[in-house]
Amino acid sequence: MNWLRTHSYAAPVLAALVIFLILNALASPAFLDPDNWNGLLVGAAPFIIIAMAQTPAILSGDGGIDMSVGPLAGVVNALVTVTLMSRGWSDPISIIGCSLAVGVVSGLINGVLIAVVRVQPIIATLGTYLVYQGLAVEILPMAGGTAPEWLRDLAGTYAGVPGMVFLFALIAAAWLLLERTAFKRNLLAVGGDARAAYSAGVNVAGVRILAYVISGVLAAIAGLAFTAALGSGDPRVGTPYTLTSIASVALGGVAMTGGRGGMLGAAAAGALLFLIQTLCTLAQVSIFYLQIFYGLVLIVALALNAGAERARHRRLAAQVG
Amino acid sequence: MNTTIAPHSLSNAALLEVRDLRRSFGETRALDSCTLMLQPGEIHALVGENGSGKSTLIKILSGIICSDSGDVAWKGASARFAKPRDAQRAGIATVFQETLVLPDLSVHDNIVLGLDDVVRRRSGQLREAQLVREALAVLGVATLDIEQDAGSLSLANRQLVGIARSLLRPWRLLILDESTSALDVDDRDRLFAALRRFRSDGRTVLFVSHRMDEVTSLADRTTVLRSGRTVGTFAGDEATTERLLEVMSSREGARAAEGHAAAHSRAANGPTVLTWSEFALKTGRAPLSLELRAGEILGVAGLEGHGQVAFLECAAGRRASPCGTVAAERGAIHSPRDAARARIAFLPRDRKTEGIFAPLTVTDNITVSGLRRLARWGLVSRQQRRRVAVEVGRNTKVKMASPDSPISSLSGGNQQKALLGRLIATDPQALVLNDPLRGVDLGAKRDCYEVLADLAGKGMAILLLSTELAELCQLCDRVVVFHNQGVEAVIGRAELSEQALIAAMFGKYHKAPDVDVNA
Repeated sequence: MNWLRTHSYAAPVLAALVIFLILNALASPAFLDPDNWNGLLVGAAPFIIIAMAQTPAILSGDGGIDMSVGPLAGVVNALVTVTLMSRGWSDPISIIGCSLAVGVVSGLINGVLIAVVRVQPIIATLGTYLVYQGLAVEILPMAGGTAPEWLRDLAGTYAGVPGMVFLFALIAAAWLLLERTAFKRNLLAVGGDARAAYSAGVNVAGVRILAYVISGVLAAIAGLAFTAALGSGDPRVGTPYTLTSIASVALGGVAMTGGRGGMLGAAAAGALLFLIQTLCTLAQVSIFYLQIFYGLVLIVALALNAGAERARHRRLAAQVG
Repeated sequence: MNTTIAPHSLSNAALLEVRDLRRSFGETRALDSCTLMLQPGEIHALVGENGSGKSTLIKILSGIICSDSGDVAWKGASARFAKPRDAQRAGIATVFQETLVLPDLSVHDNIVLGLDDVVRRRSGQLREAQLVREALAVLGVATLDIEQDAGSLSLANRQLVGIARSLLRPWRLLILDESTSALDVDDRDRLFAALRRFRSDGRTVLFVSHRMDEVTSLADRTTVLRSGRTVGTFAGDEATTERLLEVMSSREGARAAEGHAAAHSRAANGPTVLTWSEFALKTGRAPLSLELRAGEILGVAGLEGHGQVAFLECAAGRRASPCGTVAAERGAIHSPRDAARARIAFLPRDRKTEGIFAPLTVTDNITVSGLRRLARWGLVSRQQRRRVAVEVGRNTKVKMASPDSPISSLSGGNQQKALLGRLIATDPQALVLNDPLRGVDLGAKRDCYEVLADLAGKGMAILLLSTELAELCQLCDRVVVFHNQGVEAVIGRAELSEQALIAAMFGKYHKAPDVDVNA
């Protein structure tokens, strides 16, 4: 009951997700074929995980945003397929360990720049965005490299269960665990009204830094996910995901000003964007129209959102009266 | 000096001792030699009119801001709280004036907020819920659904949630900064009963209130602040309403009458510029019918948040009149557009955010509102603008190196004069000013008084909200005083004094019989 109440913000995007699943199924009966499911999950994983990566940064408020998630995923892709592979560090522990460490460090840099040095989030993370973009090309000038065997296997199935299911389960478990701590409410409080949170005694800077660290770690995991899907490296594959992630968070019912929403909505919206893409492919709509379609969906969703928000404010104002 | 220090100088036993505390914001001295001593197990009231430094003192004690100089001794040891968390750890829990409740968090989360570390919870989920229920039970609202969003609560319940949050901390000193303003009588009585129980446990409560009945009934001792200074501390039986009101108003009150003899003569005969008919901010409040005439300075006063700002905004068309109408010669004022058409110019309160364009020059700042009047075929001559700026600047006594210097190079007082000049450059019929001289240095203030008196002499109607009583006494022909969202009194020249204003602001004005307010 309580869970339903705190996740009601995600209801519209979940409904849209179901609608687009049905539309996809109608467009192509093969969509429902279990043999397809693994492919769909592998394709959707980067969308979903990068959307989740963007969420804590935006929830932290005061213009919070992490532009660097896409290029960071790209750096992880290049790092894994070139730097680590060429040194023979292809075992899961080295690769996962290094990737997560890159995510943590990147998050710390963003977090400290924003919460301590007090650089505008969009500027700070645009800076790291450019740095990572350059770094990825430096490591891997053009598409190439190979992913380790075990990582490519993640894009397959284990005993009929898609590997991505395990990855999602792991991320969900980690987030649910974190939700049981004080962090989630501290994050929502800081994002909702930093001054109020500060005077209540919340460590505002600490909460913000951790939010960006989580963003960094999830972006790194997204990097691993599309390395698994591609099976190789491509320095340019990560960058466009930044915009996808921001669009997903907005679609997912998360307040762009921070303080309201959560991972579920953003993840569902990430999946939704992927389904729009598959629908366009199935309907044989040119790839050029896809962007236009994304844009229209986003604008319509946000306009509806703004209307709902105004109604909510009116209701609250009436209550305070 | 009418100062009485109660004979409580048990300095070694004091819980909190504040000595000679000072804090300035720019040119404004918010706290200027403030002294306060709190004993264990007492309920201590802190009173003073707007801007007397109460909130600044409380913010320093709670670690929101730091003092410039002076000592705070907590439990006998010198203390300086760099952040709210430090003060809370030391045992000082504060409920702030603005209800700092987060609308998107549940009641439960709002109450436990700030106890935990970034990730680690201080207590388990079950224990947390139990603590929350206990705190709410102390305040008599145990039935509140703690899982609902705090945004769906009434203002009174939000305030109780804010208080409950503070109760959860292991406090020795609880500070309540006007935390009872939204509570109804039952809630308030329950809160006061709780405060008395805390006192008998040996804990201390410091509370700020503008309700004199609360102060006299609850406080063991009362400290009075005036212009950032401690005027005195009074024991319960000495702290009568009359005595406190008297001490709060400054001694210079008597001086106000002089230097203003001219006001009366000019006020009487001008044509009516603004008319309030059956005006009220809330249904059920006594309606106001009043006329503002050309050449009159009508003051507006009230304690923070008692409705005077809304009154001003209605007159400037920034807000729709809740009941009744405000009308100019050509019709009722409903919007800023109506106000502009009636040639009513509005000066907002916050100079930095709503007033100046900091990177632009003095000329730009003065002429920006009057550009349409200066333009010919949509083009504006630079010389023309400069000429206007220089002329207006001279009239409003702006001291500047050149009209081309950036406005941010001017002192606060001169910036304010330039803003006044901007209004005048639009050739208005009436000025609506929201505390224009707040935080302005004395010299600039005197200039502005002359400018305002001068404008009124030339037939300008002026509606002046001020938080400084001396200013109102010196400048105004009449003052409308707000209390609790209603008009408490319209005090005419003959009755105008700081004592009368303070009494009215605290809802204790006894109008002398047979005074016609429209005289």
